Amino acid sequence: MASRRGERRADLVGLVARLALGGVLVVAGALKVAEPAQSAMAVRAYQLLPYDLAGVIGHALPVVEILLGLLLLAGLFTRVAAVLGGLLMVAFEIGILSAWARGLSIDCGCFGGGGTIAASQTHYLSEVLRDAGLLLCAAWLTVRPRTAYGLDHRLFGQEHS
Amino acid sequence: MTSRPDASAKLKAAAPKPGPNRILIGGIIAAVAILGIVLAVILGSSSTGSGGTSGSSALPQGATGTGGGIVANASTAKAGAPTLDLYEDFQCPVCGKLEQVFGQQISSMAKAGDIKLVVHMMSFLDAKLGDDSSVRAAAAAACAADQGKFLDYHGVVYANQPAQEGAGYTDADLMGFASKAGISGSALTTWTKCFDARTHLGYAKDVETAAEKAGVFSTPTLKLNGKDLPLQQLSQQYLSDQVKAATK
Repeated sequence: MASRRGERRADLVGLVARLALGGVLVVAGALKVAEPAQSAMAVRAYQLLPYDLAGVIGHALPVVEILLGLLLLAGLFTRVAAVLGGLLMVAFEIGILSAWARGLSIDCGCFGGGGTIAASQTHYLSEVLRDAGLLLCAAWLTVRPRTAYGLDHRLFGQEHS
Repeated sequence: MTSRPDASAKLKAAAPKPGPNRILIGGIIAAVAILGIVLAVILGSSSTGSGGTSGSSALPQGATGTGGGIVANASTAKAGAPTLDLYEDFQCPVCGKLEQVFGQQISSMAKAGDIKLVVHMMSFLDAKLGDDSSVRAAAAAACAADQGKFLDYHGVVYANQPAQEGAGYTDADLMGFASKAGISGSALTTWTKCFDARTHLGYAKDVETAAEKAGVFSTPTLKLNGKDLPLQQLSQQYLSDQVKAATK
C-alpha cells in the first residue's frame, strides 16, 4: 500500500513485457505455421538434434508459439505462459549461440525462412540480443505476473493475478 | 425481503472465485494445445513426405544408394580421381549461375575422368517456393540417368531455368527437355514411362533427406573429397588447382 503508484507502474511494465513477448511469439508462429516443411528444415539446419526429432519440433514449434503468444496477449495464465516462453527463448539462444560458435552460417529461421545463407548475411548478434530482450520480458512476468489489463486478474481474482 | 439475497450475492461476487473455474479453463487450453501440436506434427510430416514413397523406391542408374547422389561418370572416372559432390536444386538461381560458369569445366573434367562427379539433386526450394518443380525435375533427371543421359538432361534443365525464381517447370517443360537432351526413339518412350509413373519421385525425396542429414542446407554446395569448397573463392583456376591437389 506504501506506493500504489509504484504498483501501477509495475503493472504497466508488465503489460509492455506481456505484449512484447506475446506479440513477437504470435507473429513468429504465424509466419511459419503455413510452411511446415520450411520450418522443419530451419530447425535441422542448426544440426543439433537428430533428423526426425528436429522435424517434429519444426512442425510443432509454430503452434506452440502462437498459443503461448495468444495467452500472453490476453494476459491469461500469464506466469505459466511466461515460464514456457522464457524456456523457448533459452532454447533459441542456445541454438543461435551454438550455431555462431560452430561457425555455421544459417538464418535463425525465427520468422520463417531459415537454412544456410552466406556468411556475410548472418545476423547472430542482433538475433541473440532480441531474444535476450524477450527473455527479460519473460523473467519479469515470471516473477511478477500481475499486469495491467490482464484476464487473469479479471477472471480468477486477486490471488491469481 | 430483497435485501438478504442481494447481500449474499454481493458477498459471493466479492469472494475469490473458486479453483475449479481456473482448472477447467486451463484444462481446455492444454487440450487445445496438445491437439494443435499433434495435428501440426501429423500434417507437417505428411506434407514433407520425408523418406520418400517407401523403402521400395526405385533407384536410378548411377545412384550410390538410397538417397545417394548420381555418379555422372562412373565409366570414365580414373582410379585416383577425387570425388566432387555437387549439391544443387533445379530451382536455385545460383545453381544456374554455377552451371553457366563452371558447368562446362566440371563436365569436361568428369568426361576426362579427372574427377568422380556425384550430383545430389536437392528439392528444399519446393517448400520455400510453394511448388513441387524441384522434386519433379529431379525425378525427371533421374529417369534420364536410366537412359545414360543424366548430365545432358541436367544441363538442359539449367539452360532453361526460368528467369524468375519460383516460376518452376511444368510437366510439358520437363518432357520437352528430354528430347533436347538427346533422348529419342525407344529411349524416349522408356523415359516418358518412367517420368509419367513418377518412378523416381521417391528417390528424389530421399536425396533431399540424405543431403540434410549430411548437413547440407543450401545450394549450390560443392564438396571435394568431402571437404566444402568455398563459393566465394571459386574460380575455374581455383577449382582445377583443388582437383589437382586432391588427385592421388
